[in-house]
Amino acid sequence: MFEYLFFLSSGLFLGWSLGANDASNIFGTAVGTKMLRFGTAAVIASIFLILGAVISGQNTAETLNTLGEVNTLPAAFTVSLSSALAVLLMLKSGISVSISQAIVGGIIGWNVYNHKPTDTDTLASICASWIFCPIISGALAVLLYLCVKSLLHHTKIHILWQDMAVRTGMILTTALGGYALGANNMANVVGVFIDSNVFEPLQLSRLYTLNSTQVLFLLGALAASIGVFTYSQRAIKTVGKNVLSFSPMVAWIVILSESLVLILFSSETLENFLLSLNLPPLPAVPVSSTQAVIGAIVGIGLVKGGKGIKWSLVIRVVSGWVATPVIAFMLCFISLFFMENVFRQVVSLP
Amino acid sequence: MFNVKISLFARTRDLEHNIDNLHDKIIEMTMVFKEAVGIYLRERRSETYRHISKKIKTIEHDSDVLRREIEGKLYEENLIPDLRGSILRLVENLDRVINLFDEVAHKFYIEQPEIPEIYHSQLQTLVAQVADCAENMAIASRAFFRDLVTLRDYSQKVYLLEHQSDKTAAKLRRAVFDSDMDLAHKMQINNFIEEVADIADLAEDCIDALLIFAIKREI
Repeated sequence: MFEYLFFLSSGLFLGWSLGANDASNIFGTAVGTKMLRFGTAAVIASIFLILGAVISGQNTAETLNTLGEVNTLPAAFTVSLSSALAVLLMLKSGISVSISQAIVGGIIGWNVYNHKPTDTDTLASICASWIFCPIISGALAVLLYLCVKSLLHHTKIHILWQDMAVRTGMILTTALGGYALGANNMANVVGVFIDSNVFEPLQLSRLYTLNSTQVLFLLGALAASIGVFTYSQRAIKTVGKNVLSFSPMVAWIVILSESLVLILFSSETLENFLLSLNLPPLPAVPVSSTQAVIGAIVGIGLVKGGKGIKWSLVIRVVSGWVATPVIAFMLCFISLFFMENVFRQVVSLP
Repeated sequence: MFNVKISLFARTRDLEHNIDNLHDKIIEMTMVFKEAVGIYLRERRSETYRHISKKIKTIEHDSDVLRREIEGKLYEENLIPDLRGSILRLVENLDRVINLFDEVAHKFYIEQPEIPEIYHSQLQTLVAQVADCAENMAIASRAFFRDLVTLRDYSQKVYLLEHQSDKTAAKLRRAVFDSDMDLAHKMQINNFIEEVADIADLAEDCIDALLIFAIKREI
């Protein structure tokens, strides 16, 4: 158990990074526009992030396992640690990045190091989701923006009531976003540890018992919550204020679009529903909340004429998306070498 | 939590009422001011003028109270954080317009200028234009909170009325300085004309600022 917890520490570190980095995407705009206090937003997001991770977090884990089944504990430790370090490195340089990309970079690093084949179909599906995620988010944001604008034009609601509605909407959306982040992204954090999981099921009450995987996801979510409280304010400065100066109403639309996209990419029910209609399904893959937010912001910015968008910052963030998996890949590859040859740990089973 | 929501709901409604009331006060002031100048020109500092002058003071005092309440509530409740600065400036501008009406009415009361009857009609036209201008500014300002299209419509009316009041004031001042009155008398009447016309200028300045705030308010 102690050994497992020791190796899991890197996963928890990655969980912390998820909270520090991605929570800013959920409520960064709300806090940046001063509609919600940081403390309020952090508490709401953390509670729902934990719920999302425990209740629906396992749906996206399967996809990551198909990409590369990291099958020893030291290897899972190394993949997680490299991904977390890649994220931290980018965070330190003030760029809000994607945990999903870091973990995919890490898993591919493990595949390449151990000469294991990478499932190209899954990789293609994940890469496609990275492209479609900001596009769908942008399209949703534009749609919502035009609807809200038209609604306000026709209803002539007093500015004070608009303010109250947006504030309430932001609280609800922060909860939704927290849930969606837990459901979609927690597999990134502890997904590689599922195979070697040693936790016992945990009985919460007579009616509800967490299975061993849910206990693992709960730990990851708690680590993410600590990240939310300790470090996310720094990342908010990038997403909340810098990319585009926007009103609280637009800020709310951005968070809502991002949350909806994360839910779209986590829901097996929706995937099955689209398949039943013979439509291309949206796979249950971990997508990047950062990409969703940037997609939404750029979408609205373009509808408004594109003048408010700080393109230099957008380019910096996008370059971070390319750099993150590459850095995670290299860190993982090098670390696995040390893990195997210096610390004499088994990093792969046949 | 539920109590907090109810209380926030009630306070938001109170603030909405306060803002509406402040606009009502401006519209009331424009009408009372028009009436006051008419009374002064007919009766000079009569009991009726004294009475209406008091009414103007009450409106000015009430609007000061409303302004303070609005400012306090906006900050205490942390409402509309992105536009709070703009709204505070707007409320202060509205209060300045009301204060200027009060100052001019009070000046009539204190200085009791002797205005020859031949200028009465033109002065009343000027007062009517200035009052209309301020009234339209109040309507535009009210629209800022609900409907930006209406704000633009009324802003145009304010610009037009201010331009007309400038022309009327210039014509009146020319007539005053072309007359046979002594210079001190001319200067005193000219000073009153300028003060009345200044109200329209101030209303125009308010609209300029309001249109900038409206750009920030667009989603």
